[in-house]
Amino acid sequence: MIMKNDRREFIKSSCKALSMVAAATQLRHFGAVSVLAQKAAEVTPEVEYKALVCIFLSGGNDSNNIVVPNYDEGYNQYAAARAPQGLAIPRANLLPITPPSMGGQVYGLHPALPDLRNLFNQGKLAVTCNVGPLVRPITRAEYQAGAPRPYQLFSHSDQVEQFRTAISTFKSPTGWGGRLADRTVTLNQGAAISMITSIAGANVFNIGLNSQPLIVTAAPTPLNQVLTLTGFGTTGDEQARRTALDAIRTRDLDKTMVQAASVLTQQAVNVSQQLSQNPVLTVTFPNTTLGNQLAQVAKLMKFRTQLNMSRQIFFVQLGGFDTHTSQLAGQTNLWTQVNNALKAFYDETVAQGIASQVTTFTMSDFNRTFNPSGSGSGVGTDHAWGGHHFVMGGAVVGGDFYGRPTSNGTFFPTLVTSGPDDADTRGRFIPSTAVEQYAGTLSKWFGLPDTDVPIAFPNAANFPAMDLGFMMPA
Amino acid sequence: MSVLSSARRRLRLLTFIGASVFLASQALFVQAALPDDAPVIVSESGSTRALVAMNTRARTGPSFRVVPVGGRVTFYVTNLDLLKGEGASAFRADVQDVNSNRYPLEVLSLQATAERPWVYALTVQLHGAIGDVGDALVRVTWRGMSSNRVRISIGHEGGKIQDDPDSTPTPMPTAPPTHSQAELVGLPWTGDRVRFMMQAGFGVNPVLEARLRRISYSTWIEEQAEEKRDVNGDIRYSTFAYPPFKPTRTLPPGECNGTTGMNDPADPDPLCFRNLYSMFPVQNWFYREALYGEDQQLRRRVSWALSQIFVVGGRETEQSGRMIEYIKILDGHAFGNFRFLLRDVTLSPAMGNYLDMARSTRQNPNENYAREILQLFSVGVDLLNQDGTPQLTPEGNRIPSYSQSTVDNFTKVFTGWTFCSGPECTNRAEGVLNYIDPMAVSPANHDNTEKVLFNGEIVPAGQTPDQDLRQALDNIFHHPNVGPFVSKLLIQQLVTSNPTPAYVGRVAAKFNNNGAGIRGDLKAVVRAILLDPEARGNVKTDPDYGHLREPVLFATNILKPYNPTAQAAAPASCGGLSDGILNIATLPLDQDVYYPPSVFNYYPMDYIIPGTNLAGPEFGIFSTGTALKRPNFVNQMAPPNSAAGVGGIPINITAPIGTNINYAPCGTRIDLSRLQNLVSADPNGSTLIDTLDRELLHGSMSPAMRNDISVAVQTVSAANPLKRARTAFYLVATSPQFQVQR
Repeated sequence: MIMKNDRREFIKSSCKALSMVAAATQLRHFGAVSVLAQKAAEVTPEVEYKALVCIFLSGGNDSNNIVVPNYDEGYNQYAAARAPQGLAIPRANLLPITPPSMGGQVYGLHPALPDLRNLFNQGKLAVTCNVGPLVRPITRAEYQAGAPRPYQLFSHSDQVEQFRTAISTFKSPTGWGGRLADRTVTLNQGAAISMITSIAGANVFNIGLNSQPLIVTAAPTPLNQVLTLTGFGTTGDEQARRTALDAIRTRDLDKTMVQAASVLTQQAVNVSQQLSQNPVLTVTFPNTTLGNQLAQVAKLMKFRTQLNMSRQIFFVQLGGFDTHTSQLAGQTNLWTQVNNALKAFYDETVAQGIASQVTTFTMSDFNRTFNPSGSGSGVGTDHAWGGHHFVMGGAVVGGDFYGRPTSNGTFFPTLVTSGPDDADTRGRFIPSTAVEQYAGTLSKWFGLPDTDVPIAFPNAANFPAMDLGFMMPA
Repeated sequence: MSVLSSARRRLRLLTFIGASVFLASQALFVQAALPDDAPVIVSESGSTRALVAMNTRARTGPSFRVVPVGGRVTFYVTNLDLLKGEGASAFRADVQDVNSNRYPLEVLSLQATAERPWVYALTVQLHGAIGDVGDALVRVTWRGMSSNRVRISIGHEGGKIQDDPDSTPTPMPTAPPTHSQAELVGLPWTGDRVRFMMQAGFGVNPVLEARLRRISYSTWIEEQAEEKRDVNGDIRYSTFAYPPFKPTRTLPPGECNGTTGMNDPADPDPLCFRNLYSMFPVQNWFYREALYGEDQQLRRRVSWALSQIFVVGGRETEQSGRMIEYIKILDGHAFGNFRFLLRDVTLSPAMGNYLDMARSTRQNPNENYAREILQLFSVGVDLLNQDGTPQLTPEGNRIPSYSQSTVDNFTKVFTGWTFCSGPECTNRAEGVLNYIDPMAVSPANHDNTEKVLFNGEIVPAGQTPDQDLRQALDNIFHHPNVGPFVSKLLIQQLVTSNPTPAYVGRVAAKFNNNGAGIRGDLKAVVRAILLDPEARGNVKTDPDYGHLREPVLFATNILKPYNPTAQAAAPASCGGLSDGILNIATLPLDQDVYYPPSVFNYYPMDYIIPGTNLAGPEFGIFSTGTALKRPNFVNQMAPPNSAAGVGGIPINITAPIGTNINYAPCGTRIDLSRLQNLVSADPNGSTLIDTLDRELLHGSMSPAMRNDISVAVQTVSAANPLKRARTAFYLVATSPQFQVQR
């Protein structure tokens, strides 16, 4: 369904993925990891370490209340739509920022984000505006006339997949993190573990044609205890049991699901041997869902030299953003957590001397309706479309807004329901920036060759600017 | 129509060509390595090369055998016993090249041959991506059974592919296949009964196995579906008492006197809050039902499956007492009618809270419930054929079942309902959210304007909220997607992740009409799922068959056959039974009972196993992070490297505040003495391994795996039968082969 002539390789490889790639081969790969690691370490030239960290705000973050216009006309539009039901943040509480590209207009960050505001002002944090899944750029008139749009707009599960796969035309079996790993694996020769690590379980973002994620649990589980096999002694019969355990994993691989379970278990066994230490971090991380996940990411980064990693992609996730109701309190709690965890994480990368080699970015299901649902303390919002996202790190050209122009010529949509950027009547803003462009900019910095862009992002040809400029040149 | 008739013409042509190369019939065909109920692809006489027919002019010579890249080819399949209407959609086919790449083939048609009605011409389309691979091995699967694999040539003839080791010629049979009736009854079908208990319940009960042999599956299903009464004569859907409903905790002097909730040191009993107001009691109740609730096994299993479709999670519901009121709805309708299930779920206060219908009003509508009832509970996002496959446009695109406008209209229907608090509410209590009575409506908050539903059906303006609701639920219920959508989800929960369209179609047909003209009869649906030929059989040989055991099934399936009880030192109040505190074992495996992360359940039902084209929903929570926790659980229950008597979940009544997730008044242990006793009389451990093979793998253990276990068992001193038993148990229960229920 993505059949376009210049995407032959993608299609070819997709078909291969659809063909249940030979089981035994895969298993052999995993088994050979440590040997490969030793060999490659001797010959690989130095490649500078780089890592991408995806923070998925699960449930659909209402970014309309995270990045808010703070100049008279903009704030008045915002307040007109949200104040009557009690969802508008008072202007005095917003944390002001002045992004140069917005013509000198003042914007404001959510009051729970003091540290992110500081990072913005230090040039370490950027905002990418109005990002969402698209088949191609589309106007309100075109949308209402039935122009091509992502499948199942406004549904959680589908929109989540579209952000994670950067493909909005069909349900892709691979995600953009996985495909990026596929295309940059040569930069990671000798790596002892998978390039991709998820601290939040398996999902399609992490899966490529040849790449599968390592899944580990969050801190406070020590890194050397995230994957262990318990109960074995040292006597002969114990060794025989272990031998049998390992041997059984190589049997019956002609059964597809048995093989899949075997491969994943074998991978866990291999990695459990590699993760033999529990590095100590400089910064104390908050004891929260996100803080504990990012602490584990930071530990794996600290262990990067021993693991011989030159490229890493991490996936962490925080839930609770599906704020159909009680949004004000809920979002404040969640973003306080995000602010504190990101601050700790950034400081830790500084301490590790890799602040300019680690780029952290947010994704979410979708933005939420500008028009609230409910009122009073129970006020919330429903599912919508394009939203604003943060990118953080020393290699980010921070302190500014990025994206593609909306109908008003800026990166920000016109905040009017039924207005020129609304898909319908409730303020479901039509994205001006495609997921492909957001992900493409990050991927280019990470090392994705230009020639591989159509493979990693099969729909890229529909979006001319695949580099939005928020990353320093690689 | 013209496409169809040209396809028929082509088929006749193919049949003719096929017949012309049959030549003289061969002797009775014999395929010793294949189970009796497996399909057989006919080979050329005296060879393991497929007898093929193609739409080609070449009738002789090598080129006749060569299938062009991206071409079509017809095989001949026999040993089939087709149900009425069973055709191409009951079959899958694949081909494997010399590099072990296995590609699916699209099955285009299946037609009985004119000359031998017991031989069927099966035509497949090769995907161009397979390429010019030369000789390759082709197979068909049917009802979970793999055929023999025979050679075909793609692009050119020749290559180094090896036949399967036990491959023998399967020439054209001269007479219809016959089956010995003796094989269809009695002991040889132990394997199927064990599989059945794993599909219809939470694992093997050796007593039930013997009983099933006498009374049949059908009678057992009827028994399970029968209403049971408690001592007061009330219907009960639970073997053990449901945990009580506790109204929302009040501040002191309430039942728990502390003010900070969980584990408050100010409470005389620091576990008070956890034991009364958290999800803890309902999770323990669930495991006790699964382990011991023999008269409600099937209801419990179906209710558990429904709870993963109609998801309400403890994250928002918070309390056992609230959750149990919701589970009662699922229990009560597990064998009832889907229409009433839909009604009671919609008006359930737990669901109303979970998906916000309880807060959706005319003035401030909330579309959460409207969207999810359509997407997850009934219709699904794409229009479906009756066999569950998506309908496609001529360009090959899926067709959305509804739009945002549909969601908006249903949203209006569902406005105005909220927690029942008026005098008509039987279970209302001052200051307590009513989680027992169905939600009630405030007409002033209901949007009574006109709405447009599926199929253009109009809800006229001015109806009562109740009329609106009935009409809308009827409208959803009669959407043609519901049968195939719900049937496939239940099949995936109970039997196999990738049912054939034919299987889904047979079950959906029962959903659409139970035989007595009634739509939505879930008992008929469950019967159809469990008694379908694709579910039944001693061993399934289709390589893609089955599903990964989710953590709950993994844990219960390994415990149930081995007499799970309380720890020996448990107080008499435990009655010798486990306290059901097993969630601490499945939680690290990412399955927190009745506490899924979101309405999308623990795992997505369309999760694709990486590197394959197969759905494997449960693989969504099987990863490097959880894989080793399964063997660690087995080790905890019966550690081979520990002294006799050690193992299981210990009694723990003194857990410190804050870590009392380990609190367990009775504990849980299993008893392997039955296996241990087999060891003494059996120096090489073969009876021990046979028993484990039968009880955990329903006889499907391969010789290679068996040998691995045998070597390990015999390394253990015969003077230590307990360790031998535990070693064998560990190796079977931890095996990837056991993780997959096939």
